[in-house]
Amino acid sequence: MVSRMKKMFKNIVSVGLALSITAAMSVTSYASEPYVSYNYDAWGDAIPSQSGYRVDETITGYEMELDKLADPKSDLFISEEEPTDLSGASDIFYEESLKEFWIADSGNDRILRTDSNLKVIGCYKGVTGSQTSLDAETGLSTFSNPTGVYVNIDKTTNKPVIFVADNKNARVVKAAIESKNSAVCTLEYTKPDSELYANASETFNPSKILVDSAGILYVVVSSVTTGAVVFDETGEFTGFYGANRVEQTAAVIRQAIWRKFASNEQIASMTRNVPVEYANFDIDSEGFIYTVTEAANASTDAVKKLNPAGENIWNTATGNEYEFGDLTEYASVDTGSFLSRLTDIVVDNDGIINLLDYETGRIFQYTQDNDLLFIFGSKNSTSDQKGTFTAPNGIEAVNEKIFVIDGKKNDITIFVETTFGKYVHEAAALYEKGLYEDAIDPWNEVIKRDGGYSLAYYGLGKAYLNTGDYEKAMEYFKISVSKRSYDRAYQYDRDDFLRANFTLIIIILLIIIVAIIVLRRLIKKGKIKLPKIRKKPQKEGK
Amino acid sequence: MYEFSQLGWLKHVIFHPVEGYDDLRWKKKGSMKIALVIVLLLFVAMVVKRQLTGFQFNNSYVKIFNIVPLFVQSIVYFFTWVIANWALCTLFNGEGTVKRICIYSAYALVPYIVGTFLSVFISNFIVSDEIVWMNVIYYVGLGWSVVLMIQAIRTVHQYSFPKTILSIVFTLVAMLIILFLLVLLISLFQQVYVFIASIYTELTYRFRG
Repeated sequence: MVSRMKKMFKNIVSVGLALSITAAMSVTSYASEPYVSYNYDAWGDAIPSQSGYRVDETITGYEMELDKLADPKSDLFISEEEPTDLSGASDIFYEESLKEFWIADSGNDRILRTDSNLKVIGCYKGVTGSQTSLDAETGLSTFSNPTGVYVNIDKTTNKPVIFVADNKNARVVKAAIESKNSAVCTLEYTKPDSELYANASETFNPSKILVDSAGILYVVVSSVTTGAVVFDETGEFTGFYGANRVEQTAAVIRQAIWRKFASNEQIASMTRNVPVEYANFDIDSEGFIYTVTEAANASTDAVKKLNPAGENIWNTATGNEYEFGDLTEYASVDTGSFLSRLTDIVVDNDGIINLLDYETGRIFQYTQDNDLLFIFGSKNSTSDQKGTFTAPNGIEAVNEKIFVIDGKKNDITIFVETTFGKYVHEAAALYEKGLYEDAIDPWNEVIKRDGGYSLAYYGLGKAYLNTGDYEKAMEYFKISVSKRSYDRAYQYDRDDFLRANFTLIIIILLIIIVAIIVLRRLIKKGKIKLPKIRKKPQKEGK
Repeated sequence: MYEFSQLGWLKHVIFHPVEGYDDLRWKKKGSMKIALVIVLLLFVAMVVKRQLTGFQFNNSYVKIFNIVPLFVQSIVYFFTWVIANWALCTLFNGEGTVKRICIYSAYALVPYIVGTFLSVFISNFIVSDEIVWMNVIYYVGLGWSVVLMIQAIRTVHQYSFPKTILSIVFTLVAMLIILFLLVLLISLFQQVYVFIASIYTELTYRFRG
């Protein structure tokens, strides 16, 4: 009886254990991302890394509740035929004080306004108060392929003011938002009359726009290669801003040499070498403008940080190296003929920079010091998975989330940072502020999760360099292969060593010198015999 | 006239770049054993330079250590140099034998090897502001070796100075040709080997079937 009881007890325990194990397994199993997260080490080799972001959800027109626009019962109703999906959306903008997203739904010729959960709360098909592209029925001056949108708050009326790059209508509209679906045009920026602009381009088709805190409007026009077109707050054209340089390829140099010898007619028939225009830009809280150039595999001025004078701060010529995007062809995705085409850039409030690569669908995240934090996202492979893109057009960063808008899949993918990503961001933010010691704990957490994350070792090295623990600093700099910093740590360490052991070194030197003198004396006197190199002269004629 | 042990002769040659080799030749001295040890040390010096240079000065790709290129760059290059020089200079009234060219050339390498070892040693105790010390030692060793090498070739073949320089240039060209032929030969033999191996595999399948 007792043995039977025992057996039963055993059975119960074993079944219980088995159940608990399966339960635990089901907890740990999760859908991983449809791409391999990786990072670049000091040699520019791609190495697998923990992912800093995971795909949270994918939002389509249905989740955005765009059917409200075609639903007569809804207060957002526009018309029965209003499309309930995104179409070729090309820009996404987050207004911080309103906590609202503004989406340029280019294919449907409208601007969508959503709350922070991407539920639609407004839709603008056009503006009132302008004669351009007038719709006779509604009296609206409609948008045609709006590709860029920017919103700020009017300081006097406290109402949102919207700027729309109305691409096909060749204008930028500034409008005051009146209600959920009406806006009044207050200013229209059209093609400048000046000769300066006429020399640069014959057309004016704005694609992306930006407004700084002084109300100055920057417009990217794809036919203008001399930088962004700048308008002041009254709508007056004032010039160009921050042109790219011509990439020095072999063909360009060859032509520059030919021009020296060629006649005027020949020069006239040569192709002009113009820089590639930049595709997109963003402005940070300090007023610096970041530009990104979409040309395939651009190496000159691919990403720039411009100061108010339009000069590139991230200039490789000043000594520091700035590298952006993929360095080598990483094998997991067939990238076709191009390596990378950076299409959008966004800088968040902590100064962290996100680059979107149209060609590979990857997002590259950098700190202000050009330290690569994460690479995530991917182009569509065979199956249509979450976290993959077909035509990634725009990117926006809000707190711990990254939003990517896809112009062909017509959806918005939301990435959210992982625990690993949280620790990296925390450490990087402390590091950026110069609080190296405070960053020790988060960096250690980072290393616990990814031992190959070399930025963490660099951060730890910096921290120990600051605290004066030079040997530990050297160790960490060695792991992260940062030679310059290692050199500095070594110099301090050596100085310390010399200072601490100065007397000892002098004593040893004196002992050696005395020993040499004594030995020489002894050898001269013949008391010590050295093995002789020189043989005794032999007799001649041997 | 001098009388030294074999090591003494080495020292004499190195520190008397002008007439050292002449003395060596006149006395018919020079040890093949020492020469081979020197060539081996050259190889060791190259490995040491790659592996033991101070971290802040070491630009080599440390993830993979492949000894073959270092072996080729030291030992294979040296013997190609000897053979090319002999093959060329016998055609142009050179008096050197393979053995002598080998010994004399090897002796000339000593300053370079010493300079390399010293600069690697120093690199572990200096910071990058003081890199000039490391470079000076390395390049002095290199320059000294070049001077010695010219003297070695001049003496071993009993050439005039311009003829020596010319012969060195052509020796380098001959080295290229030899190495090219060597690579060609190796790849051809590899194909022959693959051919025979595939015939063998084919036959084994037939007989088994």
